[in-house]
Amino acid sequence: MITPVSVQNLAKAFHDEGRGEIRAVDGISFECRPGEIFGLLGANGAGKTTTLRILATILKPTSGTASLMGHDVAKDPEAVRRNLGFSSSTTALYPRLTARETLDFFARINGCPPKDVPARVQRLIERFGIGDYADARVDKLSQGMKQKVSIARTVVHDPPVLIFDEPTVGLDVLNAIEMQKVIAQLRDEGKSIIFSTHIMSEAEKLCDRIAIIHRGKIHACDTLANLRTATGQHYLEDIFVFFVQRAIQSPNPSNAMPAAISEAGTGA
Amino acid sequence: MNLNLSTVGTLFRTEMRMVLRDRRMIIASIVLPLLITPLMFLGSNWSLKKREQTLRQMTYKYAINGANAAPVRALATTTRERLAGSEKANEKGGGFNFEEVKCDDPLAALSKGEIHLVLEWSNSDGPGTQTEAKPPAVTGKNKPTRPWSETAQGEPQFAGAPVIRLVYRADRDESAAASSRMHQVLGDTRDAQRANLLKIHQFPVSPADVAAVTAVGLASERQVAGVALGRMLTLFLLLFVLTGGAIVATDSLAGEKERGTLETLLTTAVSRVEILAAKHLVVLAVALLVTLIQTANLLLYVSFKLLPVTANLAAAAPPHIVMLLFVIFLPVAALASSVLLLISGHARSYKEAQTYFLPVMLLGLLPALAPVLPGLSLRSAIVLLPVANLALAAKDILAGIFDWPMIILSWLITAGAAVWITRVGARFLSTEKLITAEESDAVDIAGGPALFERRVLRWFALLWAALLLVSNYTGEADVRLQVSINLIGLFFGATLLLLRLYHMDPRVVLALRAPKPAVWLGTLFAVPGGLLAGLGMSRLSDFFLPVSTRITESFSESIFPADISSAQLLFFIAVMPAVFEEITFRGLLLHGLRRRLHPAALALVVGLVFGIFHMALFRFIPTACLGIMLAAVTMLTGSIFPAMLWHGLNNAAGLLAFHLQLPENDLEPTCYLAGVGMLAAAFWIFWRNRTPYPGLRPWRS
Repeated sequence: MITPVSVQNLAKAFHDEGRGEIRAVDGISFECRPGEIFGLLGANGAGKTTTLRILATILKPTSGTASLMGHDVAKDPEAVRRNLGFSSSTTALYPRLTARETLDFFARINGCPPKDVPARVQRLIERFGIGDYADARVDKLSQGMKQKVSIARTVVHDPPVLIFDEPTVGLDVLNAIEMQKVIAQLRDEGKSIIFSTHIMSEAEKLCDRIAIIHRGKIHACDTLANLRTATGQHYLEDIFVFFVQRAIQSPNPSNAMPAAISEAGTGA
Repeated sequence: MNLNLSTVGTLFRTEMRMVLRDRRMIIASIVLPLLITPLMFLGSNWSLKKREQTLRQMTYKYAINGANAAPVRALATTTRERLAGSEKANEKGGGFNFEEVKCDDPLAALSKGEIHLVLEWSNSDGPGTQTEAKPPAVTGKNKPTRPWSETAQGEPQFAGAPVIRLVYRADRDESAAASSRMHQVLGDTRDAQRANLLKIHQFPVSPADVAAVTAVGLASERQVAGVALGRMLTLFLLLFVLTGGAIVATDSLAGEKERGTLETLLTTAVSRVEILAAKHLVVLAVALLVTLIQTANLLLYVSFKLLPVTANLAAAAPPHIVMLLFVIFLPVAALASSVLLLISGHARSYKEAQTYFLPVMLLGLLPALAPVLPGLSLRSAIVLLPVANLALAAKDILAGIFDWPMIILSWLITAGAAVWITRVGARFLSTEKLITAEESDAVDIAGGPALFERRVLRWFALLWAALLLVSNYTGEADVRLQVSINLIGLFFGATLLLLRLYHMDPRVVLALRAPKPAVWLGTLFAVPGGLLAGLGMSRLSDFFLPVSTRITESFSESIFPADISSAQLLFFIAVMPAVFEEITFRGLLLHGLRRRLHPAALALVVGLVFGIFHMALFRFIPTACLGIMLAAVTMLTGSIFPAMLWHGLNNAAGLLAFHLQLPENDLEPTCYLAGVGMLAAAFWIFWRNRTPYPGLRPWRS
């Protein structure tokens, strides 16, 4: 069986005129299994967005490999994108299209058979409860309404892999909870979901496995229960601080984390 | 290149739908021009007519300066009487609409604006002394006219003959109009007096009919109108395309980037090429729509006579010519759209894109001015300049000249430029800078030979610009100095610099390897074969781009000056180019591009770049052909030395042919064919003894 998402020694370096080489992602490895929410937990600038942008083929890796549904992100980016739904706080909807037109457009360009598109769009409109404003222009919708349309847009072509990069940034509590519910439902439908956040409670609630990423390196990767056992801490916030402090003292993660966690991290 | 037309269609339709819902675009690109253009024309037309009317109805005040006022006043009175009796006397401005004013200092009054004109009588010693005759009290603001008798009639001035001088202020409309009118009416009176005098003395004909000159134009009305229209047509159309497409293009990439929708689009299954193709089509469609609307708008004003068009437009552009012009103009619009999209893609925000548009627009309009330049023919280097070539072609077509080879070549060159810019745009859309401001990949960071391969064309563009700049200063210098500066200073200097900058091994980069011995034999066949085949190619190319013998002779004289010994010429013309040009082009350039291009394209590109570096259109084809063959032999033998020998012997043979005055352009066609045969034999030897150049792409992937 194909592993939906597989990342091996992935690295991404940027060149900054003033600071020289910056390794935003520094040799990370992980896998995301079918029907799993895999969380990337890290502070701002930890390398989460860069990792997810590489998986979405927007950025090219400096070294290492990553594949989605068996397609290499560098060699076959279009096949990767056909199997992917990507949503982030920076992705937006076209303001001058209606919700229905938006879904129709993204279904078509993602390769849905044209004859199936109207029925599929209608199903999503009903599922996400956007029927009342399906024919209103997106720029007239509230933030919560836009969020629903955005998720519907992400899944319109029924991709096996979904990436959510800090999807609740800028949402109020109710909309954020609504969003979390939808993501959990999608997991239950068998989607492989990579979910990045810096909000501990969100990761705690949603993620089946969590990778703690700091300065481009994964310092721990396991289920919440195992992370609790390994660190002796209960709250994810404390677990996170534990690993970050350890990373500062000893930046090489292979030496820093317990063996059991390291093995789990590679998905072996 | 992955291009699904159905996906492009979906992208195009959606994008067009969004464009048409963009109130800002509709107002700025369509509504405003539709409203502003008529207002602008109506306004300027109205103000022009009003000004003419005011000036015609005005009674101008003048004063007579100087002691001898009587003859001036007499001429004015005669003119008044003559005009009073004329048919136009009752029309507004048809009579003598001048009033004499008495003042002590007429020139001071003119300065203050109290009067419009001053008439002076002077016994001139000729035109040169007239300004000196002006009173010192008059300031420099006063503008003395030429004597009316001279400018009106063009008659010669005789020393001592009296003249009447009109003094006016060119910086005041009324004063200038008064001077012009007075000039006219006094001149007419003088003509009448002169004619009358001759008549009294029984001169048989009117003076105006003596040795009269008439002009007979052979061009038809249609051709005259066509040339007038053709001069400005591309400029106007390009202006409409650029203004019409700019807003859509800005919104299309820079705007999407700013809104975050581009990232959404880039994570879908569509390819970058499909995105760019659809966006390009949208910009092109809107630009053409705006152009069409604006053109229809202009034609409407022409038909209502709001625009003064003297030429017969309908005669100049019958429907089939309009259709042809549309086809001609299509690559220009496509190129403009590509450039607009490229700018939009380069900018990080809407605002940044807008700041780039004005300078690019001004720069982009420059080539469209080509038809305005006098004497510029499509059968010149201009055919290689996109937009300018089609602008000239459009003018020719409107003038009824259909030089099809040149028109097709122009179309292909401009269309090629449009495709190339679009492809650059597609590559740009794949780069990470589109999403993140400043990023680079492993090659950028590591530097070294891999980075050189990426930047080789950029370096050669810079080298070409440097050569162009240096040639401007050394163009007239001694050939030895020119060769030394260009080959050692620029080419060899740049080669050493790049080898050092990118830490490259000279032996590898410059292919300094010994070839198989049989290759030398092949080279000896290749030299005469290449020369003869090259001459044949030049004769063929003369069909498209004829080169005047004056140019070739002057080139030969400059490159083979008589005051340099044969040994020196051999060294500077044969040995040095053979070494340094080969190091630069078949060494550095070929090595830098070897992985990027298919071997056939590699030889072609290396040859074309070599041709471009020869800086003259008439040398382009022969040098490019030689460059292609030298690249091919280097790729086949894996060594630069056969190319060096071939190049050196080729130049030496050219030198010999010049000294012996061989009729190289008058050879029998069989000679050229024999050359091709020898060349084929040479390449057969190279092929049989081939040592592949390391790192080349395979012939079949």
